[in-house]
Amino acid sequence: MGLRFKILSGFFILVLMLFIAGLWSIYELNSIGSSVQSILDENYKSIHAAKRMKDALEREDSGILLLLLGKWKEGRDIIKSADSQFIHEMEIAYSNITIPGEKTHLDSLKSKYNTYKRFWERPIVDTQKEGNIDWYFNEVHTAFLEATKTVEKLISINDENMYRTASNLESRANRAIMPGIIASVAAIIFALLFTYLVHTFMISPIIEMTYRIKKFEENKTPFDVRILTRDEIYDLSESIKELCDFVGSEGK
Amino acid sequence: MRYYVVLRYIGLVLLLNALFMAISGCISLIYSDNAFLPLMYGAFVTALFGVFPIIFIPSFQDITNKEGVFIVVSSWLLSCLVGTIPYLLWGGVFGITNAWFESVSGYTTTGSTILIDIEALPMGLLFWRASTHWIGGIGIIIFVLSVLPFLGAVESILYRSEVSAMVRENFHYRARKAIQIIAGVYFLLTFLESIALIIAGMNVFDAVTHSFATIATGGFSPKNASIAYYKNVAIEIIVILFMVLSGIHFALLFNVFTGKIINFWKSSVVRYYLVALLLGILISSFNIYSQYSTDFPTSVRSAAFNIISVGTSTGFANANTAIWPGLSQLLLLFFALQCACAGSTSGGIKVDRIVILWKAFLKYFKKMMHPNAVIAVRIDKEAISEDLVNRSVLFVAIYILFVFISTLLLCIFKVNLLEAFSGTIAAMGNVGPGLGEVGSVGNYASLPITAKWILSLVMLLGRLEIYAFLIIFTRSQWSKQITY
Repeated sequence: MGLRFKILSGFFILVLMLFIAGLWSIYELNSIGSSVQSILDENYKSIHAAKRMKDALEREDSGILLLLLGKWKEGRDIIKSADSQFIHEMEIAYSNITIPGEKTHLDSLKSKYNTYKRFWERPIVDTQKEGNIDWYFNEVHTAFLEATKTVEKLISINDENMYRTASNLESRANRAIMPGIIASVAAIIFALLFTYLVHTFMISPIIEMTYRIKKFEENKTPFDVRILTRDEIYDLSESIKELCDFVGSEGK
Repeated sequence: MRYYVVLRYIGLVLLLNALFMAISGCISLIYSDNAFLPLMYGAFVTALFGVFPIIFIPSFQDITNKEGVFIVVSSWLLSCLVGTIPYLLWGGVFGITNAWFESVSGYTTTGSTILIDIEALPMGLLFWRASTHWIGGIGIIIFVLSVLPFLGAVESILYRSEVSAMVRENFHYRARKAIQIIAGVYFLLTFLESIALIIAGMNVFDAVTHSFATIATGGFSPKNASIAYYKNVAIEIIVILFMVLSGIHFALLFNVFTGKIINFWKSSVVRYYLVALLLGILISSFNIYSQYSTDFPTSVRSAAFNIISVGTSTGFANANTAIWPGLSQLLLLFFALQCACAGSTSGGIKVDRIVILWKAFLKYFKKMMHPNAVIAVRIDKEAISEDLVNRSVLFVAIYILFVFISTLLLCIFKVNLLEAFSGTIAAMGNVGPGLGEVGSVGNYASLPITAKWILSLVMLLGRLEIYAFLIIFTRSQWSKQITY
């Protein structure tokens, strides 16, 4: 192989190594950005919606207590606004399903909420349910707790997923840095190796040839340099040898 | 010394490593896991470092013994170094220390791990982990020589530098033939075990990775509970059989495969190896049975698997040996020191040296009674040279000395005595599990960073049989001798 190929291959390898490491780091950094965005987009929205649903459920519970006390207008107003808030947040949660099993939890919440809703959809004021604390605790409150627990479960799985994603970020950051570090270390070692080989197979033979030519000039010492490679340096050495032989024979 | 000659042959070794990294990368692609980029970039960097010296440096047929030793030791060190790249790039628990420990443990076929949850690793990385065992199993250089075309005189020098003196004594073949036998037996055993494990119910991935680890007497399993995960007697029997076979001199196995079974039984080393394992299993079975409320077949199953696993320096487990009675644990330590036959993939002092040591002791004893008698140490009716006897005895002494030095160092770094001593024996013999926290169901994760570096060094010392490793650190070896 020729000198040009050897030298170019050295530089090409160095550039390629750094280029790929750079590309990879960019890819990983981009992934970190996407992960951060996904935490905000996917989990945070779901958690916020679930918290608002829980808030709506609690307000509905207060509304039911007002109805039990016979305050129809105040109770109905609170329940109506809480119900529309719950349905709105539920739609947001459905449109933002990102975790395996999240839909099952939402379906379960929907069904439990409908069960709970049936208690306050029917009249309470001016019926035998008004002031009936046993009915509230045995039926309404139980349904309320069931729905609340499911909302909490929903918050919990989104929280866990957010924690997992955030933890992965550290590993991702490490992955973004590592190719750069490894490429830098490899490039330094490679540069040293390249320098050593250039010195051994290119510079040293040239120094040796120069020395031998001087020796030939001074006292006609035969030009004898052993070149290990079969490249332009070898050709040069052979040419000089032929020249020296020619000059030597002319002199005689 | 001509460093460029060393560099050229190390290039070939790096290319082999790059090839296995690329294969692991393909596995990663098949399973769509996140180790594809780390493995492929690792393969790329390693291949570039391998190719460049081959482009630049012409081929040489006249390497010296000193260069041969340098090529071998540097190949091991550099393989361990490039082996860390996929781990480092993947991240997770792999910092520099952990990646180095895992890589050294893989190549030296020790099988000790710093991983608490092995199953969390992507499949590509698990395959790479098993591959390091397989590359290191028959020796990195032997592996390279076995897949390359004939390299002439270089092959003979590299072969002599790679295998221990004990193996050279036992292999009465030319280097090329010996390499072909070793590689042939190695590949055949791996293939046969993979097929047997698949038939017994393992999936292809697990069967291949376990075969890599068994035949290399490594011990890395892709499962947290090692072989115990499968709860399958057939699998355990297959693994036991192949662990025992992998601990036998490969030339003898070659004889068996070529129909010369008689040579196999004639070998007193193999007879001792098998009888010692059998006795160990029996004593341990009764010991476990008498101490614990397990039934006898369970005791035998547990004793057989773990004694053979340690006695062949493999390191798989099907029980928690850290809770075994003292006598059985002592037996484990003995087998971890002794390990299996020279000429196999096993580590440790080797059965051959134990036999020579015993015969040398008998000779000395007879000499005391008959001072003028001329007595030779004989194995299988063949007289062993005085030099080999002396080297074997010296090796055992130095081996034990290093075990004590390492234990002492580990204790200085606040590792408790049981873990320090058993961990050192396990690392030096390339066995894997020790006792206590570093036992068969434990790992090396909790050890201090310094302890992990010490144990990595001990693994390399054990694998390169001490002398070869130490020789490159002597000043005279670095003298310059360049010819243009």
